[in-house]
Amino acid sequence: MSDRQLAEWRQHALTLETEVNKVVVGQANPVRLITIAIFARGHVLLEGDVGVGKTTLLRAFTRGIGGGYQRIEGTIDLMPNDLVYHTYLGEDGKPHVSAGPLLMSGENLSVFFFNEINRARPQVHSLLLRVMAERTLSAFNKEHTFPHMIVFADRNQVEREETFEIPSAARDRFMMEIPILVPNDDAIMSDLMFDTRFHNADALIDTVKADVLQFDQLNGFSSVIQKSVAASPTLEKYALNLWKATRNPTEYGVKVTNVDMTRLVLAGASPRGMSMMLRAARVNAWLNERTAITPDDIHAVFHATVAHRIVFSPVYEMRRTEIAREMLSNILNAVAAP
Amino acid sequence: MNKQITKLLFTCILSFSVFNALALDVQLLPDIKSDAVKIQIQDPERVVGYTVGDVITRHIILTVKKPYKLIDESLPIIGYEKRYRGQTLGVDLSDIKHTSKDNGDTVIHDISLSYQVFTNKTVVKHGALPTEYVNIINVNSKGKEVGKFRIPSFEFAISPIAMFGEVKIEEDISKFRGPLLLDNSNLKNRLQILLSVMALSLIGLLYMLGKHAWLPRMGGPFAKAYRNIRKQENTPQGLQKAVASTHEALNMTAGNSLFSGNLEVFLNKKPAFKAIKPELEQFFGLSRQVFFEPGAGHQAGDNPLLWLAQFCRRCRDCERGLIPDSKF
Repeated sequence: MSDRQLAEWRQHALTLETEVNKVVVGQANPVRLITIAIFARGHVLLEGDVGVGKTTLLRAFTRGIGGGYQRIEGTIDLMPNDLVYHTYLGEDGKPHVSAGPLLMSGENLSVFFFNEINRARPQVHSLLLRVMAERTLSAFNKEHTFPHMIVFADRNQVEREETFEIPSAARDRFMMEIPILVPNDDAIMSDLMFDTRFHNADALIDTVKADVLQFDQLNGFSSVIQKSVAASPTLEKYALNLWKATRNPTEYGVKVTNVDMTRLVLAGASPRGMSMMLRAARVNAWLNERTAITPDDIHAVFHATVAHRIVFSPVYEMRRTEIAREMLSNILNAVAAP
Repeated sequence: MNKQITKLLFTCILSFSVFNALALDVQLLPDIKSDAVKIQIQDPERVVGYTVGDVITRHIILTVKKPYKLIDESLPIIGYEKRYRGQTLGVDLSDIKHTSKDNGDTVIHDISLSYQVFTNKTVVKHGALPTEYVNIINVNSKGKEVGKFRIPSFEFAISPIAMFGEVKIEEDISKFRGPLLLDNSNLKNRLQILLSVMALSLIGLLYMLGKHAWLPRMGGPFAKAYRNIRKQENTPQGLQKAVASTHEALNMTAGNSLFSGNLEVFLNKKPAFKAIKPELEQFFGLSRQVFFEPGAGHQAGDNPLLWLAQFCRRCRDCERGLIPDSKF
């Protein structure tokens, strides 16, 4: 693919960002990270409070990239087959089976949103993890594929009643964990309260330009990005040092407030995690019109791609978010580039 | 009658006293034995150039051996007009200080005599502090023998306040006075001030240009990096080492790994570097080209190593709290 085509796609990506930023205000960084995830073909775990605009954000992206959008709510009694099909008695009085959210859009499924994933049972997690990893599902004696699907899941970190903690293996399947926070700009907060266009989410989504990207071409173009953006030996060494620092932070002099660093980390970032980080960094470099990754590209995605993969001692798990943020910031500060 | 007798008696007593006084005139007393008194005199060093109103002080130490004793009443009297051959000297004793110390077999008298000049002329004239006599008594002798001791005079020249007529200064030079000197104290002060300013300027210049670490804040990371960069050869490897050295200095200054993404945070933390923000961005562009993206362009010119040395020097200025060199 020529440089001109790379530039055209970049322009499309930036247009998509602009469109989404129009309807989801004050979330420029999450929007950039989701854009990166879309082009890096990675699944995303959204973390945030209720009513901060997670669903609106995803629906806006779905409208921009086209394809099918399906959503399911995580509940304690949700079973795996609820994702695949549901049965009902038809008007003819006979039982009928219809496709569940995973199968409803067929191969055109582009975004699958699992709301409050931590309320679902581990059985449901297992099914979803397979779908996320292999993008296939066996049902009704048939292998269903979802080649263009990206899973967006969200979890509410505040409420812990009747929830199941997502195991580290499951978290590792997500390319990114993106915090969605309430904007702290007074003008934006005021707009969100008083501007009536934010009161009707459906009408708001309709203002997003449709099909800015072609969802069925994203896989192919993602490979092109990964091949066209290079990583120098210096950058490789830098990324390697970052990885080592997540595993043995004390060797790099990394400290976290009120934490015994010798007991903090049970397992650092995984190889899959670091490769996903590099995939995301390549996309960031491409979005910034670079042909090679720089430390800035890694910095841009480091927190989102690594924080949820590090396994802490159970005693520190309750403070995971703040500890992971401080530890990764200190790792970036401690490891020199070059 | 009684009154007349009383007057006569009073007249006789007064006549007898005057006679006795005349009999005790110091000039008429014999000299005291030479070994009874020793004298040390400290006269003024200057012997010329005195004029009306000047005060001349001489310091005299008399060592009087016992049983001899200095009669304090014989010391010169303040204000007494001195004469020589019937003519007033024009020099009056204006002050006297006298202390004595008993050393067992001797008594040391420390006498300071200050004379003031009350005469002047249009030409140089002779002047002298007069000879003074003090009386010494031998307290062990039968008749309380009294003798005089002479304090020699001190001669000097009294100068006129103003000269009349044409004066040739070359002929007026006295071998005692030496050449007349111009007052150059103002020039000396100015010279001292200018030399101080020059010394401070030189120290400041060394501080700005110095490559070494012998003054406070001179041994900062950029000073070291600058020295290191100047050692590098102008090759791709040398440039890599130079860029890495500058990165190290930046990281040390920032206290963390610094790249263009967190440049704003760094500038807020170290506002002294705000003046060179464009160059910092250019540096990261150069670093990107050298280490990460060989195909990328940079704005460091045709000789990046030279540019880097100049950039590092500007960083060093910022590090030292100076205004960065504008010639860039």
